Amino acid sequence: MRLKIILALTVIAGLILSVDLYRIFLQVPDEANQGAIFRIIYFHVPAAITSFTGFYLAMFSAIGFLVTKDLRFDSVAASINEVSLAFASITLCTGSIWGRIIWGIWWTWDPRLTSFFVCWLIYVGYFMLRRAIDDPTARARLSAVLSIFACVDIVLVWKSIEWFRTQHPGPVLEIRGGGGMAPGMEAPLWWNFLAFLMLATALILIRTRQEGMKLEIDALRRHAHAF
Amino acid sequence: MKFLRQKFLGQKFVGQTLAIAAKDLRSEIRGKEAVNASVSFALVILLLFSFAFDLEPEQIRDIAGGLLWLIFAFAGTLILNRSFARELVNDCLDALLASPVSGAQLFFGKCLANYVLIIIVECISLPVFAIFYNVRLPQRLALLFLVMLLGTWGITVIGTLFSAMTVNLRLRELMLPTLIYPMLIPALIGAIELSRALITGGPLAENMIWFRILVAFNVIFTILSLALVEIVLVG
Amino acid sequence: MNPQNYNFMFYGFTVAWLIVMGYVISIAVREKKLRQELDRVKKMIEEGESTRR
Repeated sequence: MRLKIILALTVIAGLILSVDLYRIFLQVPDEANQGAIFRIIYFHVPAAITSFTGFYLAMFSAIGFLVTKDLRFDSVAASINEVSLAFASITLCTGSIWGRIIWGIWWTWDPRLTSFFVCWLIYVGYFMLRRAIDDPTARARLSAVLSIFACVDIVLVWKSIEWFRTQHPGPVLEIRGGGGMAPGMEAPLWWNFLAFLMLATALILIRTRQEGMKLEIDALRRHAHAF
Repeated sequence: MKFLRQKFLGQKFVGQTLAIAAKDLRSEIRGKEAVNASVSFALVILLLFSFAFDLEPEQIRDIAGGLLWLIFAFAGTLILNRSFARELVNDCLDALLASPVSGAQLFFGKCLANYVLIIIVECISLPVFAIFYNVRLPQRLALLFLVMLLGTWGITVIGTLFSAMTVNLRLRELMLPTLIYPMLIPALIGAIELSRALITGGPLAENMIWFRILVAFNVIFTILSLALVEIVLVG
Repeated sequence: MNPQNYNFMFYGFTVAWLIVMGYVISIAVREKKLRQELDRVKKMIEEGESTRR
């Protein structure tokens, strides 16, 4: 049953992405100031929103573990964080390439990109912490606390870097070159977002099952060595 | 409400917290290991920065705020690392956890002790920095000291909590800096901007936002840490 | 239209897809390893039980 859900999600996501690629490349006209590179936004922004949503969902799952002490919440939290980290990496890379075109340099310390980089670093630390702890309950407990701290901190990080950049201006990646985006151009963005969410959900389901298998192996191993 | 007040402001809470803080401070004053190491590290960084940057005096004043807080953050980590690690010898940590002292009291006591130690290191490093880099310290020294107090509390709270988190890990010394520096960014930016404004004599009024961020950071994370430290220490 | 822009845009899309593909492949590899480990441990238990009987 679960496998069917995963398969269905992936197929639908794939279809939406294919349709979008067609629309993005052939139907959407070039944006006035930025030209063709503008289309990268159709992947940059959905990836960013997906990963951010993921991190906050993971925090709620972590709180769920702390309340119920059920290790499955921890498996879900870890899976969501891992998939979100992958999407965050996509955000950073596409953002960097976008900056290369617009500003001629690979990295611009743009406030949004910088905040994302900090977020990325925090969650790399999260996985380092998980790797360093062997006991599943302790690992779940400590990563849950780290997850809560990270999500509270990210808000402060975002705001403070934004204010820092208003006082020390630098190149900024503008989503909207002129005013807003024309209505015809915005649709692929939201469709892509939907596709990314579905893809992320499918990956999270697979990863959660893997985490569950790991726990099962641990338990069986303990059972085997007990005799 | 009354329960909370009694829990966190009652005699017993304060008394036991101060007892823990006094214990840590006393052992540090007798041994002087952490403070010595930290001050030496700060001096070494000052030396290295002198090779890394070769700037005009006005430019140095501009980056002085940033340099200062980088030194404080790096040197402070040495002290924070030892905070819970020193209790591992002879199972002292287990003894402390088994004692009537609650996790929050243990944590807060260690926070206070670390705070005092890091402030001492900063007070030694600041004049040395001013001498080495020929930075005339501002008239508003009291305000600079206030910024130091606020910024250091942010570093201490996060650092002590993460020290508790990483105490049992193999790569403790490696993990603590990796985990806390990204989280400290709001506090560090706030402290750096305020210090820069004070040292270069810039207008303070436009920098009040950083003051607010520092205070918000401290309040939020002190409360969050006190709430979650029991889970980190005991489970 | 600046042809260089098109180049970089394709690099961008390629990078995004490579990251996704790489991640999916790493998940698949981990799945295989976990299944092998699970089978191994299950076999170990069965052998243990049969020798005891």
